[in-house]
Amino acid sequence: MTDLTSSGAHGRPKRLRAREGNLLGTSMALIVAILVLPPVWFLFKASITKLNAGLSSDGLTWDNYLRLFTSEALLGSLMNSVIFAVFATLVSLVVGGILAWLVVRTDTPFKGLAFVTTIVSLGTPYILYVTGWLYLLGRSGPINVTWKLITGRMDNLFDVNSLLGMIAIEGFLWSPLVFLLLSATFRTANAEMEEAARMSGASVSSTIWRISFRLAFPAIAALAIFVFVRNLESFEVPALVGMPGGIDVLTTQIYEGVQRMPPDIGYASAYSVAMICCIAVLLYFYGKISSAAERYAGITGKGYRPRLFKLGRYRWLGAAIVLANFVIVLLLPLAAILWMALTPFVQPMRLASLRYVSLKHFENVLGQSYYHGLFLNTVIVAAGTATVVMLLTLFTGWVVARRKAFGKTSEQLVTMPLVFPGLVLGLAVLQLALVFPLPVYGTLWIISFGFIIRYMPYGMRYSFAGIMQIHQELEQAASVAGANTFEIIWRVVTPLLLPALASGWLFIFLIATKEMSMPLLLSGPGAQTIPVAMFDLWSSGQSGEVAALGLIWATLMTILSCAFYLMTRRASAKTFG
Amino acid sequence: MSMRPKLIVALAATAWAFAVPSLAADQALIDAAKKEGSVTWYTTLVVNQVVQPIKQGFEEKYGITLNFASAPWQETSFRIINEGKAQATKADVFDSLPAFAAINAAGLVQPYISGAAKDYDPAYKEPTGLWTANIIQPVTPAFNTEMVPASGAPHAYADLLDPKWAGKMAWSNSPSIGGPPGFIGGVLSAMGDEKGMDYLHKLAAQKIANIPSNPRVVLDRAISGENPLVLAIYNYHAEISKNQGAPVDWIKMEPVVAHVGLVALTKGAPHPNAGKLLIDYILSDEGAKVMADAGYIPTDKNVKSSAPALTPGDNYKIFLVTPEIYEKKIADWTKIYDDLFK
Repeated sequence: MTDLTSSGAHGRPKRLRAREGNLLGTSMALIVAILVLPPVWFLFKASITKLNAGLSSDGLTWDNYLRLFTSEALLGSLMNSVIFAVFATLVSLVVGGILAWLVVRTDTPFKGLAFVTTIVSLGTPYILYVTGWLYLLGRSGPINVTWKLITGRMDNLFDVNSLLGMIAIEGFLWSPLVFLLLSATFRTANAEMEEAARMSGASVSSTIWRISFRLAFPAIAALAIFVFVRNLESFEVPALVGMPGGIDVLTTQIYEGVQRMPPDIGYASAYSVAMICCIAVLLYFYGKISSAAERYAGITGKGYRPRLFKLGRYRWLGAAIVLANFVIVLLLPLAAILWMALTPFVQPMRLASLRYVSLKHFENVLGQSYYHGLFLNTVIVAAGTATVVMLLTLFTGWVVARRKAFGKTSEQLVTMPLVFPGLVLGLAVLQLALVFPLPVYGTLWIISFGFIIRYMPYGMRYSFAGIMQIHQELEQAASVAGANTFEIIWRVVTPLLLPALASGWLFIFLIATKEMSMPLLLSGPGAQTIPVAMFDLWSSGQSGEVAALGLIWATLMTILSCAFYLMTRRASAKTFG
Repeated sequence: MSMRPKLIVALAATAWAFAVPSLAADQALIDAAKKEGSVTWYTTLVVNQVVQPIKQGFEEKYGITLNFASAPWQETSFRIINEGKAQATKADVFDSLPAFAAINAAGLVQPYISGAAKDYDPAYKEPTGLWTANIIQPVTPAFNTEMVPASGAPHAYADLLDPKWAGKMAWSNSPSIGGPPGFIGGVLSAMGDEKGMDYLHKLAAQKIANIPSNPRVVLDRAISGENPLVLAIYNYHAEISKNQGAPVDWIKMEPVVAHVGLVALTKGAPHPNAGKLLIDYILSDEGAKVMADAGYIPTDKNVKSSAPALTPGDNYKIFLVTPEIYEKKIADWTKIYDDLFK
């Protein structure tokens, strides 16, 4: 390969290109390290520090680790955590995966509905969603009430405050993410192989199983690990659904520790440090999968627009699945939320309650100027965060996928925040902000900063998964044509990656608009966000107003994301057209 | 002492007649506060019920901007303690008893004796001005009136041991006075340590659901019928919902555990004078009226709660938990909760 090093007019020297790539790799690793390591350091320090009432250090201690590993509850909650995370991941993968494949790769009807479901449910704040589900599946919800009416029995059909309830709700909560990510994967899958299989006489089902599924396997496996880790780390569902039923998982232990006064930050931090070690093991396997992924690159220099499977006489089945998903993941919980928004207090759905229905909660929300400022704050923080994260992960993703200098390091660093429970990361960032030389404490800046750290792993999944699908030959061609590294990324990779980048941006934007635990700690006077206000309303028993505010907010987010979705579709049509 | 309130009333009336600014806050303080220009309040109170009306009233009256940051007491105390540690204090004023206990333990409370609380009951203020109570928060059980007829509702602690309540009751998991520890404190103070512990062991066998939220959310579970009977909620919340038509009522299980809701000044407050002025305003009749209008129980004798039956004293006996009792007892009560009920 020495010929390229001396190439003249047409190519850039390989060594120069390699140097540029490594320079980029080193810079990205540095930037990411500056973002991620200080909170990790604070976390570790907190885990071995004894605190007094003033939250100042009273010396060092290994007590927190001792307590963690000798705690009686540890084994039980560890078991619960693993069962919860494994099965919730399966639910998300099955629901989101089937839907993504149907929508992207087949001619099923109602495709639009799947996107509507996804976009609206991603825009709906968790606290609202979970409340809606709890209501539906709860003791006095329509399902159990109907069951009791029909059977005349006193016991419930379904106890939502159980592992099963947690798994179902968490699974549904994350299936839209799986749908979004896997539809990007399926969209760029190489259809030629499927067609070759079909022409060689393979049936639809064996083509799906032996070609489509195998091709998508690295992406699915990577996603599965990602969702699994997220479920392990999640605490909304365990807290809201599990704790009332006495189901303890690891995160609810942290939550309880942090809720105490003086807060048990040391224990929570020790837990997080231990989690980082576990995740490192998972990431090792993830690395093995992704290093083999190049063999699966679908976007090559050849035309790659995938063609659709004809479902034929099974079209009704596709339609039924898309519809069922729409009803279960979107319509039912939204109906429950709407019911809450229209009634002055939470009550069973029944005719007799209709006399209470009013628009009062909506009027209250729309009439208060307090909320208008919050809307703006939230959008600014979320949009800023999404933009910075996608830019950062575009470059980092490329460095990692193309194994430039410090690629492995960058990857580990970017993935690290995944293991921070929101509240713990919030704590670390808060302490950072207090000692930071600029007056960022209590401002929107510091909330964005926390969000950027927290959502980098999410952006990375989109960018990295997208780049893995792009065969290097396109970049090599660009390089031979004289493009430098920056040009390659900006003019070759970015346009091809646009659908993935856009999905990632949208996802982070939506998830940032509903994150609650971090802004709760970081927002100062005049820098509050909608979820903080919603939490405030919710915890003061105004679930009706929460529901109204949440619905208005979800509507706004849906309009925004629809506009965004159409925009990126046009852009990607231009690129691939 | 008995002459004092009358004198105040007379003075206030005179002041009103001549339309001079309230006597509760003296002019020098107002001037100094205006010079500071703004005040920051870290609050655990409900924003649209209480904080917004106070903000509006205060800003209109003094032309000083009131910024607030709303969060539960844990986050509020976290932030103030962390700010204090970094010598970057932003909060001037804060509220809530458990937050006070945490912040005071960190040595971050600035005493201030407010003139507005001059005629308050001495039980509602700390003599050196560390805190002044603006509301009373009685912690009681409540039940769903559609699922439980009034005759079937429990009236005494012993009734809670009835097997029909097994698996049906809920309370919050808040390690605070408004949660199980407060209830436990009430039981121990009513029955004495030995009998009380015996009772609590039996109660634990009833499998009470621990709801990871505050008393208000627990009350909603009674209203929606998730749990027909809930322990340790604030009785005025039940009253507010009842007035909206919710099928709920609270139970006078005497002595009712009650704690104070309070306001305090932060040590190192960037706007100390505006902070004092805000405390004066919250404790004044005007501030108390905001609380009463929202359905709360003010400590200010001149302002009556909107539901007279809520006011303790004549209506029911209370065991009042002050910050001093709280600081002494909360760790023990929380430990009992952890050991028996979790």
